[in-house]
Amino acid sequence: MTLLIHTLVSFASSVGFGIITNIPKRTLLPAGITGAVSWVVYVLIAGATPSVILPSLLAAVTIGLVANAFALIVKAPVNVMYIPSLVSLVPGAIIYMSMKDFTLGQETAAQQGLIKTLTIAISLAVGFLVAEAIVRPLRKRLMRALKRTK
Amino acid sequence: MPSEKVIIELCGRVGKLLLAYGAETGRVEGTVEYIGAAAGVPISCHATMTALFVDVDTDTATHLVKVRTQDFDLRKVDAVNTLSRQFTAGQINFTALQSGIARIEAQHRDYPWPIKILGAGLVSVAPMLLFQATWADLALAFGVGIAGYLAAQLTARHTATPYIAVAAGGAVIGLLATALQLGGVGTSADNIIISALMPLVPGVAITNSLRELIAKHTISGLVRAVDAVMVAGAIGGGVVVGSALITLMMGGLR
Repeated sequence: MTLLIHTLVSFASSVGFGIITNIPKRTLLPAGITGAVSWVVYVLIAGATPSVILPSLLAAVTIGLVANAFALIVKAPVNVMYIPSLVSLVPGAIIYMSMKDFTLGQETAAQQGLIKTLTIAISLAVGFLVAEAIVRPLRKRLMRALKRTK
Repeated sequence: MPSEKVIIELCGRVGKLLLAYGAETGRVEGTVEYIGAAAGVPISCHATMTALFVDVDTDTATHLVKVRTQDFDLRKVDAVNTLSRQFTAGQINFTALQSGIARIEAQHRDYPWPIKILGAGLVSVAPMLLFQATWADLALAFGVGIAGYLAAQLTARHTATPYIAVAAGGAVIGLLATALQLGGVGTSADNIIISALMPLVPGVAITNSLRELIAKHTISGLVRAVDAVMVAGAIGGGVVVGSALITLMMGGLR
């Protein structure tokens, strides 16, 4: 039940952000699904480990794999799928809090926030890198297979 | 076949479209160089977040295009991508590519406002806060987030000053959320604020910045990172001002 709510809300988040960033209609559903799947991965792994790095990293790997698959199906640049599906995972709230602490003069809290922001952003970026490394050789083979069938 | 000059000029426009509306640097450079190669001119492209250089390898002349990044408009990025894919595959000729790019530059296709508002509301219910914030607070964040998003969009129309729009959005969100808590409707102003800020906050930008840095597009990565920190700072300042204002006012009422 908990997981179902997580799925629904993260799906809505990704579709919503897709609308704000004006992605084409045919990519809304794929982006929503990618966002929901990756968030469920994040929640499951965050429940099993105390670190913030592993959940973010594996969620980003999930996005990378699922989004690339969808990109081939609906023929769109992967970035169109990446951006909306990232919205729930991204350290936006933390960087805001850190900057708010700065304006309030609480420097230690601000520094901690910045470092946490960096940690999460790096985990996500490395996750994408891993996914790209997995996808790239696969994509070539897929393309060749597609050409042969034509 | 069109002259080199025409091809370079078009490549510059393609790169500018992609860069301004949210494609990554590597993608921009790649697309421009593919188009050049398909048009029969070996082209080098160097893109940073603020400028784009297009150069023919056999010539010394370089075409410089200034770029100002704007809000994401991924529909344009997708449209340019589709066109360039068709062109490099030989499905359309250079003239069709030219007119296609001109069409993308001119037209602005967007979702209708009611849908965009609904979208902003949906983003404002952050999955991060599920089972941490109360359900009522999340429901309030839906509305507060829409107000903040609209405030930012409206301000952006009336001012060219950077960062003012997001600051205004932050101020509206801080004001409403604090008012709701002080009025006894919301439980935690902090939770409402964090959730409602989701459409404005530069989380995606900071992640993209790291991706650029890892891809060795160092300049673009740094530009994006600094920009993200500035945006977050503007939002933070806005929220603090907004909630301080309403606390003063409502404290005075009591």
